[in-house]
Amino acid sequence: MNKIYQAKHDLWLSITFSSFAINDEEIKSRLYDFAQMAFRHMKWLGEDILSAGDKYNYDRDILLYKRETVFEIINALVIDIKAIQNVYPDTVLGERIKTDDAYLLDYLSEVLANKSNNKEITAFNMKREWLDKNLPQDQIDALTIFLFDESYKEYELILIYAYMQTRTKDILQYNVYQDLIDESHFHLKSFANMMAKLGILALPRELHEMTYIVKDLDKFIRDGIDEEMAAKEMCKALSEAIKDEELSKFFDFINYQENYHIELMRKLL
Amino acid sequence: MYENVIMPEGMNAEVLEHLMHPKNYGKLDDANGVGVALDEKTNEYVVFYTLFDGDIIKNASYATNGCQDTVVIGSMFSDMIIGNNLDYAHGSIAKMHEKLGDLTPQQKICAEIVFSSFIASIKNYENVKAGAEEELHLFKMKESCESAGKQGKNNE
Repeated sequence: MNKIYQAKHDLWLSITFSSFAINDEEIKSRLYDFAQMAFRHMKWLGEDILSAGDKYNYDRDILLYKRETVFEIINALVIDIKAIQNVYPDTVLGERIKTDDAYLLDYLSEVLANKSNNKEITAFNMKREWLDKNLPQDQIDALTIFLFDESYKEYELILIYAYMQTRTKDILQYNVYQDLIDESHFHLKSFANMMAKLGILALPRELHEMTYIVKDLDKFIRDGIDEEMAAKEMCKALSEAIKDEELSKFFDFINYQENYHIELMRKLL
Repeated sequence: MYENVIMPEGMNAEVLEHLMHPKNYGKLDDANGVGVALDEKTNEYVVFYTLFDGDIIKNASYATNGCQDTVVIGSMFSDMIIGNNLDYAHGSIAKMHEKLGDLTPQQKICAEIVFSSFIASIKNYENVKAGAEEELHLFKMKESCESAGKQGKNNE
């Protein structure tokens, strides 16, 4: 059963990071919607696995589609979506997931049918230039470190909260985890799209089970609140360091969002 | 805070490559030495997997929930020791200190947690060889990244 979960986890990341890699706003947005659907598939598959008394983990077997054109990415995605069809369980859920994937494959065919969609991919060129901004090198360095640290952290949080959400019977906890997962999805999307703009898009590192198997919830939450406080400080520092009004406002906004993340986490204590 | 950030060797192409594609990252299923170094204050850890063949390090990998400095140092260090013997690996710790140059107190802790996890993996290998039943060997870090950060701030 873990093989199904792992394949879905890999596909969720593949669709998500294809969305981040592609510059065209319409394709980016459509793919991101499908990626969110794939994440829900992953969640429901996890629930079914646990209901059957089985286990799953967050091991992965994925390489980022580091390609030079949109069509190369889309074609790689098509191959992986087709390959997973034989892995899905022979259940009502499995059939439902297949109909979602069939619709995604239709959409990808439409994209491939229009040659004007085949633009260059700049997300991996490592140039670290923000074309419409003139940021000096020290600010680009600061932004780079921040984005690598925080994109990993958001991915980590999404998976930890999802792991705990699937295992709680408490409605309040379930809802709080959902809010936190949604918030982290938004942050991951924001940070990863910035990384793509800078040409440094990369997959977050795989999670080790020491990170997501939580033995002491109370300690985990208290540590998490401390981490949110630290993240607030990092956003504040970055907002002050980056001499660009638009980016500074964005990091202030992220900083203020951490306040209600902390409040949400306190509900879990 | 970020104005004075110094990455190991500066943000050069090599560091960026280790950031984007950390080498030897993840579990090593056939490891015969597993070490963990844990910073209890921050809960940051590095787990280091080593496959020894006698004195030779046939393979090595690591995983961490730590910061990017830890990732880069783990990537560089694991790459340096694979295929070499234990004497070389011990010497590599000194070489890494030279390579990394002047680090902030926090970055020094990041380096130490990587090296400690590797030494813990050697300890695990030796203990198991001596007949102990030990899944992994754990070292708790004496100095915390958190206090190093505060110390760094106070020193500024």
